[in-house]
Amino acid sequence: MTDAKTPAITCRNVWQVFGSGAKQALSTALSGSGNDPQGAADQLLKGGFIPAVQDVSFDVAEGELFVIMGLSGSGKSTLIRAISRLLQATAGEIRIEGEDIVAAGKQRMIELRRNTLGMVFQHFGLFPHMTVAENVAYPLRVQGIGRSQRMAKAQEVIDLVGLGGREENFPRELSGGQRQRVGIARSLVTDCKVWFLDEPFSALDPLIRRQLQDEFLQIQAKLKTTIVFITHDINEALKLADRIAIMRDGRIVQIGTPADIVLRPADDYVREFSKDVAKGQHAHVRSVMQSGPDAPVAGPDDPGLKTGMTLDAALARCMSLYEPVPVHDDSGAIVGTVHPADLAAALQADET
Amino acid sequence: MTTRSDPVAIFRHQTPGAQAALLTVLVGALCLALEPVAPWLGAWPTAWTLPATDWVGTVTEAVLQAIKPVARWFSRLLSYPMNGADWLLNITPWPIVLGVTTAVGWLLGGVPMALLGFLGLSFVLASGYWSESMNTLALVAVSVPVALVVGGAIGILANEVPRIKTAVDAVLDVMQTVPTFAYLTPLLLLFGFGPVVGLIASAIYAAPPMARNVILGLERVDPDIKEAAIMSGGTRWQQLFQVELPSASTQIMVGVNQSLMAALSMVIIAAVIGGFDDIGWEVLLTMRKAQFGQSLLAGLVIVVFAVVIDRMSGAMATERKKHDTRVFYGLLLVSVAVTLLFWARLPNPAEFTALAPVADHVDQALTTFTVANGATLDAIKNGAMFYGLLPLRIGLDQAVLPFTWGFAWTAGMSAALFAAGAGLCLVLAWRGRLTSGLMVMIGVGVLETGITNLPWPFVLTGAGALAWVAGGRRLALTVLVLLSTILVSGLWDRALLSLYLSGASVFACTVVGGATGVLCAVSPLAWRVVRPICDMLQTIPLFVFLIPVLMFFQIGEFSAFLAICAYAIVPMIRYTRHGLVSTPPDLIEAATATGATPWQIMRDVRTPYAAPTILLGLNQTILYGFAMLVIAALIGTTGLGQSIYLALGQADVGLGLSAGAAMAILALIADRIVQGFAEERRQALGL
Ligand SMILES: Nc1ncnc2c1ncn2[C@@H]1O[C@H](COP(=O)(O)OP(=O)(O)O)[C@@H](O)[C@H]1O
Ligand SMILES: [Mg+2]
Repeated sequence: MTDAKTPAITCRNVWQVFGSGAKQALSTALSGSGNDPQGAADQLLKGGFIPAVQDVSFDVAEGELFVIMGLSGSGKSTLIRAISRLLQATAGEIRIEGEDIVAAGKQRMIELRRNTLGMVFQHFGLFPHMTVAENVAYPLRVQGIGRSQRMAKAQEVIDLVGLGGREENFPRELSGGQRQRVGIARSLVTDCKVWFLDEPFSALDPLIRRQLQDEFLQIQAKLKTTIVFITHDINEALKLADRIAIMRDGRIVQIGTPADIVLRPADDYVREFSKDVAKGQHAHVRSVMQSGPDAPVAGPDDPGLKTGMTLDAALARCMSLYEPVPVHDDSGAIVGTVHPADLAAALQADET
Repeated sequence: MTTRSDPVAIFRHQTPGAQAALLTVLVGALCLALEPVAPWLGAWPTAWTLPATDWVGTVTEAVLQAIKPVARWFSRLLSYPMNGADWLLNITPWPIVLGVTTAVGWLLGGVPMALLGFLGLSFVLASGYWSESMNTLALVAVSVPVALVVGGAIGILANEVPRIKTAVDAVLDVMQTVPTFAYLTPLLLLFGFGPVVGLIASAIYAAPPMARNVILGLERVDPDIKEAAIMSGGTRWQQLFQVELPSASTQIMVGVNQSLMAALSMVIIAAVIGGFDDIGWEVLLTMRKAQFGQSLLAGLVIVVFAVVIDRMSGAMATERKKHDTRVFYGLLLVSVAVTLLFWARLPNPAEFTALAPVADHVDQALTTFTVANGATLDAIKNGAMFYGLLPLRIGLDQAVLPFTWGFAWTAGMSAALFAAGAGLCLVLAWRGRLTSGLMVMIGVGVLETGITNLPWPFVLTGAGALAWVAGGRRLALTVLVLLSTILVSGLWDRALLSLYLSGASVFACTVVGGATGVLCAVSPLAWRVVRPICDMLQTIPLFVFLIPVLMFFQIGEFSAFLAICAYAIVPMIRYTRHGLVSTPPDLIEAATATGATPWQIMRDVRTPYAAPTILLGLNQTILYGFAMLVIAALIGTTGLGQSIYLALGQADVGLGLSAGAAMAILALIADRIVQGFAEERRQALGL
């Protein structure tokens, strides 16, 4: 996450407008509104265009798990398709590992997809006429890699996603959870460096979804790829994300860590999302403490709060305390203070 | 109250349907009133007719002459694979053909399909029409691959170049509405007499279904699958051939099936130009000689082919389990063994006459039957003609004669009829159903005048108004322009004749087929009986329908009417039933919960819900009716169908093409109007 490194993904003022002649209409609208995105979007809508993604900018660092969240129809899929060049962005700059994707030629895109990019789809997108193994090995087949070699590689990822023994089945013979494992395996078979997942678990039962989320985190811990993950489920976002971008009507309204989103929602829309979330489980002491040297010395009634503790856990330890208490880091050194009242107040944030 | 007295305001106030009907009635009344002083209102004067037919003929012939050398060369090129296939099928000992069919049947559908193949071909063998059948098969075997490749290529092209998709769609539409016979005349001129014409015609006729299904299949591939192929890093070529086409294989197989059936149907129809000793020719020959037993036998051979080909290729379009390939090779081996073992003693298939006595017997029995029941059959035929078809054709005022009806039609009766109609119309209008009332008036007018005597301004207005209600101004304009071309090109009278016969058939199909559909929807038992009949009727090539009607009712309009009905009734039954049984169960439960009787549910819930589907059935019925109308020209109809058929005999390209185009225009107009209504219903239901 250091600034010296180029981000894995860079988006600057990305627009995706649907309708014929969208490019022209967008530049007219932008110059008409004096480069005000809101004004331009309104004008486009009036003209019968659909500005599905409006003036979106963000960076994703290498190895980061970046989640895009928003209600259905807010433009998440469109955005991820613009980044992966399944759609040609109407305007703006998109770079992957520093390379300008918008300007990349056809041949270059094929290369990138073969070596750098991987994608998982909400409805799996499995090829019905191929077995599990053939599905998973397909990205290698298009590269002209020999059968035995690609099957060996496919076997590795099939084992990784826990589908060993199902190699010869056809997609129609699998359950939803198993199908998405195939989708995941297929997208991993080429050792991609940037991994796109468009609501991969939304079509699954809650129980299977939980299970796959956990396995997904394990895979991510092992592979450490850069990930753009889309969901409409705030709990999923909070569980997985390093950072979350919240989308509304084509715009990003807030980007922040899970704690930021829960504790400091940028507007009512975001607040509405985090309302039903058990905040105490997602925000950590770190996010509410005051760090500084003037921390109180650990007294006899030091509850032993740690920076990485969830608010719920911290609050449970200082139920009966009314004075600021010290916060320790992992090594035990005191790094800041927190007032128990602040802990409670943080959980109430959206009621005010 | 002031607005009430203003007629324009009242008119504006009505529903579009009522406005359209009112306009039509007014124009009709005006025409009736003015006809004595302005006879040109009744029949389009010959002096105003443009010799469009001749122009079309001259231009087309010039074009055809220009490309004739290429065509002849192409024809020679095609004759090699055709003669090759013919030679191969005829030289191959019949046990091997039988064995291969059975073995392929096994692969496609296990024991039942193997049995179907075996019994089917055994029947063909026993009929003594083996070599004729092989000749027909050779034509199909060459034309279908051509059609599949061309159709597939067109489908892929339309998919890859979205800009031309609409154009391709329109062309496919037209190709499928132009009557089969109309293809033949220009091809005849281009390629000369001979089987190659049938081959090319059937390839042309069989390509559109393939193209359509390829387009549809590719369109329906899940977008996630397409994107997954892109993200896998495939080139466009790889995406298409490794992912999209295989994913669409089920739909494409449906295309192959339809293509095969179309080719078979066309190959048999093409027999009318002769020159090839195939099974269609055999039917035609025996029919002309009135040897109905033989003709029926040959017809059955065609049906057997159709059923075997349809069921086997249909099996490819459904998901099926794998059948042991060892059985496949075993069957092949057995057939080869039998051939070798009995090589010297293998009877010539032409010598099989097992069924000849049966045919003769049937022939005799038929003769006896028709002689014995001639009076009854005649009574049925005459009754339908005099009391149904004829009044519809020339109107009550001409059809009611002392000779048939027992009295003469007088002006007073006309007046009384109109008065009764007007009375009914007023009652209906008073009860708030103005449109229905006006429709009654229109109906009375048509019945009194007869379809073929309708004044042209009335027809134009009526069709235009109907199109306006169904699809707005644009459709109305299209309909008017298209009909006017028929009017000025001198084909109007014939078009009305065709309209009358197809109208009568479609009406009969709607009533009988609709009722049957309702019956099948409420009674599963009825459906179990009707369904195989429908399946059968839809598999049989058009041509074969002519045999039984001809046997009982000889050549004439009534026979044509029956043949059209037999063919065109199926979609009406199917769609009506399907629409009615696919009402969502929660709708029916909700209605039951409110205490509605089954009959009320049928009338108030299921029928309105099924309306769009039933309209699509009507649409299909109309198109089927037009298709059969042209074939029925073989057994005596008048109108456009007859012209197309005559043009074929005289190699008159101008007439053939113009009449074919007029026919296609009528079909397209009917199609668009009914589709418009169906679409409107669908939207009204929020589907
Ligand atoms: N190909 C397209 N053409 C026109 N509009 C589209 C297209 N794809 C998406 N949209 C519109 O863009 C908006 C955002 O859609 P999408 O990105 O799929 O939302 P999400 O994935 O967040 O549910 C929606 O209003 C949708 O109707
Ligand atoms: Mg989406």
